[in-house]
Amino acid sequence: MKARKVKGLDPDGPLVVNMQRVIAVRIDELFGFIPAALDPANVTELHDMRIAAKRLRYLLELSQPLFGQPARKAAKVVKDLQDLLGEIHDCDELMPLVDRHVDGLRRADAASVVAATEPGADDLDPALVKDAPHRSHYRGLELLTVHARARRDLLHGRFVREWGELEERGFRDELEAALHPVEPPPEGE
Amino acid sequence: MAKARDIPGIEPDATFREAAASAIEVRADEVFSFRDRALDTSDIEGVHDMRVATRRLRAVMEIFAVCFPKEQHRRALKEVKELADALGDRRDPDVMIDGLEAVAKGLGPADRSGIRQLERSLRDEQAEANERLAAMLDRIDRYRLRERLVALAAEARLG
Repeated sequence: MKARKVKGLDPDGPLVVNMQRVIAVRIDELFGFIPAALDPANVTELHDMRIAAKRLRYLLELSQPLFGQPARKAAKVVKDLQDLLGEIHDCDELMPLVDRHVDGLRRADAASVVAATEPGADDLDPALVKDAPHRSHYRGLELLTVHARARRDLLHGRFVREWGELEERGFRDELEAALHPVEPPPEGE
Repeated sequence: MAKARDIPGIEPDATFREAAASAIEVRADEVFSFRDRALDTSDIEGVHDMRVATRRLRAVMEIFAVCFPKEQHRRALKEVKELADALGDRRDPDVMIDGLEAVAKGLGPADRSGIRQLERSLRDEQAEANERLAAMLDRIDRYRLRERLVALAAEARLG
């Protein structure tokens, strides 16, 4: 996912002001995936939201010397969010990988069964399939897909719940409030 | 995972370009500090640390893009992304295999065999990814990516 362009950045301007601009756009970007990412069917939006979280997290981590403890805390929350979306993404990657692998096994087994037929046979002898080389592999791979699907459902449910908690406590306001420069200590302290 | 180094130029009174120069220097140095460990297949943290460092470098190159000469920045960023992809292809199977093993442990021996076979296939892909990573590291040495990143930092300072 391409990051949204940030307008008005000035290389010769203060770092703090420029960082505030970039972070504000990245916050907006992250929240732009809601409500789409709350629907478990929206795989692309969930993946893109993870990327948006990653960008925001790196920015907040980098900005800690400017914005202090609130930025550190916000970075931790965004990192946890990114990690959870990452776990969901891993499941989304694993399922098609297993499907492709099983498809390859099926093709290899079919070729092997055809090769075992009598030369010139008009049809396939059903008994030949019991000797398919990968016959013992399918069940475990099916269970692996079941596991990935179940884990994905559970993790997405957790994401919806945790996002709801973040919204309830006003996480967006917290993020925006984190963008205030650290005040120097008063004279004499 | 290696902790990110502090960047001396990230200070409240710095300009955007001063911070850009410091950030790219520190993050580039971090990436190349893991270079020799990245191809060691017995040390799975080496490739992971280099990947994380590459992501951090990419992040600062994107954040501070406006501070660098456009064409040199575009080319260097493209190579950093390619390096990140090569590191990802090498690293991702480790994570996936860990997940497969966790599932396999809970199954009986008959159900495990298919998962073990998938693990072997992932290991084969990983060996190929290691070769591609080696070629990528040779390429970035040959085309002096590190020196070009340092030059980008110098350009950012000059303005």
